[in-house]
Amino acid sequence: MTGAADIPEPDETESPHPVTGLDDLVHQRVRLGILTIAHEARRVEFGYLRTQLELTAGNLSQHLSVLETAGLVQVEKGYAGRRARTWITLTPAGHAALAEEIGRLKLLIARVETTDHG
Amino acid sequence: MRADRQVEGADGPGADEHAVIWQCLHVLMLRHPRDQLALAQIGLLWKPIGMTSDATPVGGDPRRLLADARDLARRVRLTQRVTWLPLLVLALVTFGAIPVYRYGHVVSDCHPVDGGEVCEVWFQTVTFYWLAAVLLAYVVIAYGYLRVTRARGVDARVLPYAVAGAALVGLGFAFAAVWIRLNPLTHPEEPSAFAQVLFRLLDPPGAIGLALLVLAWLERHVALLLFTLGYLTVVLVPINFGWGAHWGPHTWFIPQLVINGGVLLLGSAGFALTQRLRRPR
Repeated sequence: MTGAADIPEPDETESPHPVTGLDDLVHQRVRLGILTIAHEARRVEFGYLRTQLELTAGNLSQHLSVLETAGLVQVEKGYAGRRARTWITLTPAGHAALAEEIGRLKLLIARVETTDHG
Repeated sequence: MRADRQVEGADGPGADEHAVIWQCLHVLMLRHPRDQLALAQIGLLWKPIGMTSDATPVGGDPRRLLADARDLARRVRLTQRVTWLPLLVLALVTFGAIPVYRYGHVVSDCHPVDGGEVCEVWFQTVTFYWLAAVLLAYVVIAYGYLRVTRARGVDARVLPYAVAGAALVGLGFAFAAVWIRLNPLTHPEEPSAFAQVLFRLLDPPGAIGLALLVLAWLERHVALLLFTLGYLTVVLVPINFGWGAHWGPHTWFIPQLVINGGVLLLGSAGFALTQRLRRPR
């Protein structure tokens, strides 16, 4: 997995298209949303994610399970008083994957705009 | 799994053929950048010949994905803000300094001069008050901030602010002690204008403002930045309506402390109201 800084400049003839570097795991609206929120919040509670992403608990759990299996997030269960709470934290691999995805998206947009003006 | 690998693993037509079609579709996508759903629609078209809808789902347009991510990040930042809390606590600390200044100074070595007398005034209790009160204030702020934001479901970026705030107050007193030792003043000499501004900036009220700049930067909070610049202006360029001019050595400091604390208190009320109205539910 390469970092966003390693992404080559847009060049249709020589460099691979930015789409070829997109990671299915992250290039998905909900999972990108989870990673973005967890990155910005440092640590985010399950209920907050569910509200912000407008998902059912089951749906969010499935996405979290995929991300956790891939080692991009860490899920931690605990209690606040008597209330059970689940906290999600981004792992270093999660931070890197998010940075790479954002970099690829920006590059893709730049490529589209260059083609449009060219 | 990456998009290029999906093409290689597709059933039906050969991998090379898929790669060619894939490249052609890229060109098509690039020819229609203004079409917000172009990528998604093409992604769905690919599904029957081996692509999963996961790779380019509906709404998978890069612009839209990036805009969504930015919007989510902005909403998290709004949730993380508890700006009223530090302003309220620091306002109380500022008001609390008034009785300490009033009763906590020691007057000594008075000698007569033309039209009056000059005395040395020691504010050791005041120094101790500011150090203790500000350190306690930042502990309360950090604890309260984290408690409120965790109840909302996120963590806060308050620790660097609290550490910076406590460090700035300590630094200010250390600077003042060194300066006075190196530049002893004798009446009627006064510090230069630059030194006076520097002293005001590193005085506890000024250090409070500098730390608020750190918080504004951490939270990318433009309104707090503007408020803090206004507060620092009040601290650095003291407002003087003539109050306290003839109040004597025991009360001259009251107007400035009231103004500083009042600005912080008003800011706290303003941010509390604004954040109550704007915070995402």
